[in-house]
Amino acid sequence: MINTIYIEKEIAEHPRTLEILKRFPDASKVACERYGEIFNRKSQNFRLQKKQPALILAKKHKGMVLATPKQYAIGADHNYYFSHMLNCLYDCRYCFLQGMFQSAHYVLFINYEDFIDDMQTSLAQHKDQAVHFFSGYDCDSLALDPVTNFTEEFLPFFEKNPQALLELRTKSTQIRNLLKRDPIQNCVIAFSFTPNKIASALEHKAPNVEKRLKAIIDLQRAGWLIGLRFDPLIYTKEYEKEYAELFTRVFSSINLDLIHSVSLGSFRLPKAYFRKVEKLYPDEKLFSSPMEEEDNNIGYPAEIRNGMLEFCKDIILEHIPSEKFFPCHDSI
Amino acid sequence: MIHLFCALPCEAETLIQHFKLCEIKEFELFRLYQSQDKNISLAITGIGKLNAAAAVTYHHACLDTSSSDIWLNIGIAGHANISVGEACLVNKITDNQHKTSWYPQILFKTDCTSAALITHDTPSTEYQDALFDMEAAGFYQMALRLGTAELIHCLKIVSDNQEHPADKINADSVKKLIAKHMTTIEQVLDSLKPLSEELRSIKTQPEHYQTLIEQYHFTQSERLQLVRLLRQWPVRFPDDDIMKFVRDIKNGKALNKQVQGKLAESDFAIHD
Repeated sequence: MINTIYIEKEIAEHPRTLEILKRFPDASKVACERYGEIFNRKSQNFRLQKKQPALILAKKHKGMVLATPKQYAIGADHNYYFSHMLNCLYDCRYCFLQGMFQSAHYVLFINYEDFIDDMQTSLAQHKDQAVHFFSGYDCDSLALDPVTNFTEEFLPFFEKNPQALLELRTKSTQIRNLLKRDPIQNCVIAFSFTPNKIASALEHKAPNVEKRLKAIIDLQRAGWLIGLRFDPLIYTKEYEKEYAELFTRVFSSINLDLIHSVSLGSFRLPKAYFRKVEKLYPDEKLFSSPMEEEDNNIGYPAEIRNGMLEFCKDIILEHIPSEKFFPCHDSI
Repeated sequence: MIHLFCALPCEAETLIQHFKLCEIKEFELFRLYQSQDKNISLAITGIGKLNAAAAVTYHHACLDTSSSDIWLNIGIAGHANISVGEACLVNKITDNQHKTSWYPQILFKTDCTSAALITHDTPSTEYQDALFDMEAAGFYQMALRLGTAELIHCLKIVSDNQEHPADKINADSVKKLIAKHMTTIEQVLDSLKPLSEELRSIKTQPEHYQTLIEQYHFTQSERLQLVRLLRQWPVRFPDDDIMKFVRDIKNGKALNKQVQGKLAESDFAIHD
């Protein structure tokens, strides 16, 4: 539950702000000039704030649509990501957001119109070419959808622009807004998975594997395309058994014809983020995993990483054609 | 540890009695008090934000505070329409002179009203829809350099409003206002203690660190590595004593290497 809502004065009267505030009548409302006054300040603690995050309603002024690193593409040459929100309802211990942000509060940029304008501009730069837009890098795309109405507001843009494709990256089961409307073929609901025992250890507050699968099944029945994201792969001594079980469970439960893409990536974090998160959670087992530094990132040693990636790739390709498979590492 | 700050002796008196604090005579610049177990301390800052900031700095220097400590400014404040006698936890502090704002992070449930506060440089009788005082901005700005926003708070008891102006306030009425809210103050502190304890647990040096750096030579980067290894060891080998494992080591570098080797060679399971 949200106890405190910070509201930038500039968007205090925006209809979307007023609509959201109606949902939290008991929350303390605190006016601010810019969200950075709260969100970017030093001398705050992500771990403590994660116990009771506040909501910050803000306006995004620039950098709404940004180019995506090449290795995260799923079939198009032109790729962008955008974040209508910063931070996530869930508390996954491997998540880079803990290392990237000073604050665990949820920032919601309510000027959706400006994001859509920027997407239109990006599309215009690549006339008649496929352009992919990724949501869910800096937040879970669907977890707060009932509050933000994100999908309801953004999907009509994609419906009108078949040249564009939207990926909604999520672990959430908040799919009601999607099921309420007709599916569109240029939107992929991409669910992240780790094996159950690993998820229980690391993905705090997130729906378990079975609940995510149920959401996928419901979405597929309604005609939505699904993405599967086995990223990050987490090392544990019995990873082969655990991932094999996961793949069996996932691929036997869902309609493989309605899989848009499957991607695979091993756990890695930029060094600075890793060191920060490690300090926040010094007793966390993940950070005592065998790790090493490579190109200013910290991740598993090549032998472990490549072994896991190869093992998982082989099983995945038993279920889906290679043109739907997108590894996030050059090594496989 | 808990550090309380009041501008006036009459604001502090009830707290000193309630928490059984004794004055620390050796410190003369500001009046400082401390409980026998040294877990609670109090400073009387005097009026104004500069005094408040200076008192926080002095308190820190004298009592060797830690970044996981609790800092609470307690005092009276005016407000346009909140009833006299009501306790408010401050959710935004604005320095009226510089127009800078800070946002104490209230992560716990509280019965108090939460309200914004403006710190003025001179006494003001222009009531607004915000608390006003003369210290909070100085207190908060300085305490934030020493602690974390989740553990630094201002609790203000409304002493005057449009209907009951400030001219009727005296030392006795202030004491009564504070005394009326001792339970509230205790509740706020009780809510902050587990957060402080959690932070302390992650900021404390790992076990054996001090012993090992006294025993062996480590460079600065080797010390950082040692901290990480000493954190990882009990997570990976909760039943093994690291001191036995490194007993025959010749130097710090070799120690790190040996521990690192053991961590790398052993089976790793992310879950039980």
